[in-house]
Amino acid sequence: MTRTYTPWFLLAVALGLAAIYLFPVYWMYVTSVKSGSEIFSNPPTFWPADPNIGVFGDVWARRAMPTYLWNSVVIAGGVTAITVVLGTGCAYVLARYRNVWIDIGLFCVLMLQVLPASVMVTPLFVGFNQIGLLNYPRTAVVLAAAAKAMPFFVVLVRATFMSVPRELEESALVDGNSRVGAFFSIVLPLARNGILVCAILTFMSAFGEYIYSKSIIQSPVLQPASVGLSGFLGPNSTDWNSIMAYSAIYVTPILAIFVILQRRIVAGLTSGALK
Amino acid sequence: MRFLNALRDGVGFDILLVGAALLFLVALAGAPLVYNVLMSFQQVDMFTLGALFRPFVGFDNYVAVVRQPEFWLVTRNTLIFVFGSMTGQFVLGFALALFFAQNFPGAATIRGLFLVSWVMPGLVVGGIWSLILAGDYGVLNVILRSLGIIQANVFWKSDPAFSIWAVVIANIWLGLAFNMLLLSVGLAAIPRDLYEAAELDGANAFQRFWTITLPMMRPTIGAVLSLGLIGTLQQFDLFPALTEGGPANTSNVAGFWSWQLSFQLYDFAKGATVSVMMFLLVLFASVIYVRSTRHEVRG
Repeated sequence: MTRTYTPWFLLAVALGLAAIYLFPVYWMYVTSVKSGSEIFSNPPTFWPADPNIGVFGDVWARRAMPTYLWNSVVIAGGVTAITVVLGTGCAYVLARYRNVWIDIGLFCVLMLQVLPASVMVTPLFVGFNQIGLLNYPRTAVVLAAAAKAMPFFVVLVRATFMSVPRELEESALVDGNSRVGAFFSIVLPLARNGILVCAILTFMSAFGEYIYSKSIIQSPVLQPASVGLSGFLGPNSTDWNSIMAYSAIYVTPILAIFVILQRRIVAGLTSGALK
Repeated sequence: MRFLNALRDGVGFDILLVGAALLFLVALAGAPLVYNVLMSFQQVDMFTLGALFRPFVGFDNYVAVVRQPEFWLVTRNTLIFVFGSMTGQFVLGFALALFFAQNFPGAATIRGLFLVSWVMPGLVVGGIWSLILAGDYGVLNVILRSLGIIQANVFWKSDPAFSIWAVVIANIWLGLAFNMLLLSVGLAAIPRDLYEAAELDGANAFQRFWTITLPMMRPTIGAVLSLGLIGTLQQFDLFPALTEGGPANTSNVAGFWSWQLSFQLYDFAKGATVSVMMFLLVLFASVIYVRSTRHEVRG
């Protein structure tokens, strides 16, 4: 009797835990549609009394969100392109062989994975300043952020390549394919899904990139949405429904992609991050 | 011709693939790192910023940084931030991982939803927590008061005694899900029959956890803890969103301080010096990380 009910009881507890954990996300959406006075009311209302949907259109226009979001897309797209093109080949080689040189290469990649952006931003800024790259600030940010994103991508994609059977590639070589041919016609298609998931993860994290953009890009028309948000977010901000509406517009696409691809993303992470 | 052939068909192809990536990483991560160390021994100000050769000052920058009145405060905060966040993320993550290791419908899907916190931009997470942690209208105070845990409102962001903990709370929320996911993977790899055998021998749940789960999870725990340390040291976005290091540096940590020195006070030499110090800490963490994943890396 109790045995058949236990799973459903656990499911209820799990849903409760998820509700508590995801409360901040819910709070963002609820606060964005509340009126100004309702936000500061005590006790707070957990469901908006008079939802005001118009705030989204208002913030969208007033805060010049199309420009900011477009810059975010450009930066994230550039980061993803560089990371995928350079990182995939690197991950493939690191997965294919096993010797001292590969160990050294892997060690370097792991070490680079741990460098905090706040450590790198000072020398990158001064260096970019010296070679004149600060005149092309978005390019500078793309290069810096791609170097930040690549190690993680390599580690994850390497795990994907490890799961591609070596025999398939070897039989293609026996059949007269060149290494280049075997790589593009056999190995890459088999690893496509894993690479795609990692590319999406790279895009999502670059889409929220803040520190490099804030430090390097001075002109508001070139700044991404994160810097746009920081313009009116700080310890003493009170304009909460605009901030939350801005945040909601900013993260909803990311959250949607994540929920749709959740299963694949989790599988990709678990296979790569610990192996 | 032989060169082209090697490129198409031999080891040249591998060298090209790995070389392009490594060249890029050396140029944009390795070189800046060396340059950073160099700058920490130089005099860098607005006049010499663009110059290639700057006057060397030996350890002056290091002495100046340590003599800054906020140096020890920032050190203390960095330690609180790192260990507070890691402990919270690990303990709560482990508890959740154990819970979701039970067999019930939808466990994997619901567990996956937790990762939402990990894919959100840090600045947005900071903004949401800034609202939740607000002193007079923040929802956390209301909940804690109605549960009877606190009597009066806690001004999380502006009270010097709590400001660093405000960032710790937000960071625990941010990193908890990733910890849980990695620990879940480790838990799933423990063979079921070990538990069954122990149960037959009469071991209770606590004994099973202590004698089977923990020892079997040792490599995973090592990797998760060092990844947690690295992730926490990398955290930056929460600070500008929540407290900006204030009030009076009571929530400032090394990473944000280094950025402030460089980009708000334009003292690039001191900024570089602080980030070299922080890099040494990260190096220490990553040695542990690499050691704990080494056998897994080699497969």
